[in-house]
Amino acid sequence: MIPDKKKTLTIILTEGPYRSQYVEMAHNITESALDNGYGVNLFLYMDATHIPKKNQNPHSFPNVGQRLKSLINKGAKIRACIRCATARGHACDKNSYLKGVSITSVYDIPGWIRESDKVITLSG
Amino acid sequence: MDSNLIIVDKAPYGYEDTFSAFYVSIACLNKGMHSDVLLVGDGVYAAIKDQKPGGSVDYPNVGELSYLIFPEGSIFVHSESMKERGIIEEDMVEAAQIIDDNELYDIIHSKTKETAFIRI
Repeated sequence: MIPDKKKTLTIILTEGPYRSQYVEMAHNITESALDNGYGVNLFLYMDATHIPKKNQNPHSFPNVGQRLKSLINKGAKIRACIRCATARGHACDKNSYLKGVSITSVYDIPGWIRESDKVITLSG
Repeated sequence: MDSNLIIVDKAPYGYEDTFSAFYVSIACLNKGMHSDVLLVGDGVYAAIKDQKPGGSVDYPNVGELSYLIFPEGSIFVHSESMKERGIIEEDMVEAAQIIDDNELYDIIHSKTKETAFIRI
């Protein structure tokens, strides 16, 4: 029996951490898709480029950086918009982001759409 | 998936979202992927002509950005949203294609499962 081609989900996330539940929703969807055998692309746009910042230390919320790290380890592909990351001070320092997060541009979005079976956006 | 419809429902300048949405559409078109933009709700303000952003905001002029999308891609503008905001056709950039609810239905209906709907 020929196995089905692995399906791919792309998520475009525009919201930053802690202020809203969008990041948690994106992480939950990503984890569920990975657990169900999907490949997952997560594009971080605008305030979402804060998410991969190292050394986050929230006192009242789950740490979105640690959650993202576990999703990267499970196989999620993560890219952040360079324009947005630079504006927010994350692209100037090589060590600003968690390992496994690429800083690229919106020009990667069409490629990810092409390889995807489904695209969803999480935007406030 | 081989095309997309970018949906914008926020006004420009108050949020970064509108021109970031236009950038996605421009990037897709430049990479050979068909992309249209739908302006609905407060998003219709993005297609008003002769915008003059400046001062402390100093965002790019989204009215002018629409010409990096048009004519390869369409800029659909929801007429009912315009009417609710007192905006008339003469207020809009030439790239704007004003559509009513029935035309919006036809556009959505004509899209296939290969179209990504992206709301930013």
